[in-house]
Amino acid sequence: MNPVIATHGLTRRFGRNAAVDGLTLSVPEGSIFAFLGPNGSGKTTTIKMLLNILRPTAGSAGVLGADSTRLGPREFAQIGYVSENQKLPDWMNVGQLIEYCRPMYPNWDGALCAKLLREFELPLDRKIKSLSRGMKMKASLLTSLAYRPRLLVLDEPFTGLDPLVRDEVIRGMLELTEQEKWTVFISSHDIDEVERLADWVGVINNGRIQLAESTASLQTRFRRVECVIPDGTRLPASPPKSWLKPEVTDHGACVVETAYEAEISERRMADAFPGASAIAASEMSLREVFLALARNFRLKA
Amino acid sequence: MVHHTPMLPFRVQFKAGAHAYEQVVYAVKKAIISGALRPGDRFPSVRVLSQELRINPNTAQKVVGALVDEKLLVVEPGIGTVVADARPATREQRGELLGDEVERVVVEARKLHLDCEDLLQAIRKHWNRLSEENK
Repeated sequence: MNPVIATHGLTRRFGRNAAVDGLTLSVPEGSIFAFLGPNGSGKTTTIKMLLNILRPTAGSAGVLGADSTRLGPREFAQIGYVSENQKLPDWMNVGQLIEYCRPMYPNWDGALCAKLLREFELPLDRKIKSLSRGMKMKASLLTSLAYRPRLLVLDEPFTGLDPLVRDEVIRGMLELTEQEKWTVFISSHDIDEVERLADWVGVINNGRIQLAESTASLQTRFRRVECVIPDGTRLPASPPKSWLKPEVTDHGACVVETAYEAEISERRMADAFPGASAIAASEMSLREVFLALARNFRLKA
Repeated sequence: MVHHTPMLPFRVQFKAGAHAYEQVVYAVKKAIISGALRPGDRFPSVRVLSQELRINPNTAQKVVGALVDEKLLVVEPGIGTVVADARPATREQRGELLGDEVERVVVEARKLHLDCEDLLQAIRKHWNRLSEENK
């Protein structure tokens, strides 16, 4: 299957500082791809390059099969984009905003638009200027969903939203679920927001991609392995490379195994801690995997 | 977080961090075995499942697929997915619902270096205590 987004060494410098540094990434068609990273890690800069709002300093990005620097009306008619700080024409009311957007998209689905209006409880006659942050986000999402884009790009869509609006936004986004070959690229600094939504995750830190993998593969590969150790046992001088944050307490050891294989990983534990007993491996949630990785980045940074 | 899901004939109380797929399958099985979902009842579409539970559509698809494979749901052409007209749940099926909990207890027991007999004894003790209290 062709990736919907494919970047190669994508780089953007501001002065001497590289906001995005040699980013290579591929987003499979039909996935909900969570692009995770702390604030300031390069998520928004990446998205702006993908959508031809910023030019790359080096490298390239392909979006819907076209080079990002050549995206035109044909591609933009198939891309929905909602960002945290989107500027909407303040002087329009919601109805006028819809009428303003509709002619730009041949695939505009009036029935879907009406459905979203109802679900989002957006008043047609209210001026955008007077809408709350949550209402603005919903108006923005509505005008990006109503033409059933093949690719939906959401930049930190949940920041500053109360839980109820956040829930409405997710529900609205999933209106497109039955559409074939529908891909979502969603950036967030908070794993909790996307844990049950994403089936692919990419993690970016300091402008560099740390990981890009399906959640199924991550959850197969990561396990917490624990054991009981004789008192006074120390962490080996060079712990196995596949371990993250090995910890030793008075009588126990706990590691995050990143290349789990039944029996082999348990044996690795036994070899590293002579006299280890009660070795047990347990599954980790996406959230736990992300936290283990994030802690690891901070140690290295 | 509890989702209010008026459109779904079963409830899922997601535990943070646990696998969504397993939690939904478990909730559906429980609803079928307890009788909250009955043979012939319409089962929600992938879109409704995904939207109401705020889960990935592919996860919702996987849930439906697994339940069809287990013959708990059947696809009726022109209608959609309905709860299968299965024989009443066997002891074994009801027992399977406890799988996760039992595994957790076994893991904990092993950490404590208990053997199977110790564990059975502990379970019996609690079983009897609760039976006494309910008298």
